[in-house]
Amino acid sequence: MSSYHGKVDSLGLSFFGSMTASISHELKNSLAIINENAGLVGDLIALSEKGHPLKPERLLTIAENIRRRVQTADDIVRRLNRFAHSANQPVVGVGIRDIFACTIALSERLASMKGVSLSIAPGDEIEVQTLAFVVENLLWICLKNIFLLAGAGQQVVLGAHAEASDIVVTLRCTPEIPVKQLETTVAAEAQPLILFLHMQVQADPQNSALRLRMPIRFIE
Amino acid sequence: MRVLLVDDEEELVATLAERLDMRGIDATWASEYRKALAIVEEQEFDIALLDVRLPEINGLELKRLIEARRPAMKFIFLTGHGSEEDFNACSAESGKDYYLIKPVQIEVLVAKLNEVCQGPGEQG
Repeated sequence: MSSYHGKVDSLGLSFFGSMTASISHELKNSLAIINENAGLVGDLIALSEKGHPLKPERLLTIAENIRRRVQTADDIVRRLNRFAHSANQPVVGVGIRDIFACTIALSERLASMKGVSLSIAPGDEIEVQTLAFVVENLLWICLKNIFLLAGAGQQVVLGAHAEASDIVVTLRCTPEIPVKQLETTVAAEAQPLILFLHMQVQADPQNSALRLRMPIRFIE
Repeated sequence: MRVLLVDDEEELVATLAERLDMRGIDATWASEYRKALAIVEEQEFDIALLDVRLPEINGLELKRLIEARRPAMKFIFLTGHGSEEDFNACSAESGKDYYLIKPVQIEVLVAKLNEVCQGPGEQG
């Protein structure tokens, strides 16, 4: 039992590491841009001391660029904070679309590196009683493996619908990718999470989608 | 000195290019690799500053594509990670001295550009 939970924890730690590394890269970019803008102000002042006119509108533009980047960095830190807290959250009621939104926010930079776009299908919110962190971890493993199979221009749409006491999550891929292969790799890599969540993973080749079925209420 | 800057953060490379221009360095920038290759086809550069992680391609792959078109060009890599993985990859490609971590101070960058372009640092 402890070994089984250990595998879930180990996958969670790996997920946490990947996400925080990606977030730190985003923060570094924001800091680099703030650094360059601050340096540019210094350069313009140095030039003005040599007789070049210093235009106030130019300084206002730079100040606005810095303000915007600080806002971006603050959004990133807020996302990191929400993610960090989710790691030790107990089973709670959470909207599946909230889980999708969090997973997409965490994965977006890595998706854009691969030229993949992520979105959520329209539909009503469905509340699930679950460990959001574990579900996000599983969705991340699915996305990561889609990135490996997909080329630039790939679109992935996350959707969900209720079927009796289950929720069915779909990751639909356009253009088509080999979803049977995706099913195999996800089932192998995420097996402890799949068992933990009492989930079934199934390829849907007709719709180029991966389907994840799990109970709406987490089974201890 | 003519420098090509490539990073997917457009605001970063545009500002860096402007600051290098102020220091007498002729800098051109691109925020994606296809644009960078198109620029290299049309213009000559002494050196390129490449982000290690670019959309659809990494900096090392882009270096090889540019080298195929401009074999004499030299390279410096820029990264936000500072990870051992990046360091080892860049070191193998261009020598450990040609690897800068964001945010980089402009004086450090200018010194490195001069060193790579003028110095004995031919790395094969």
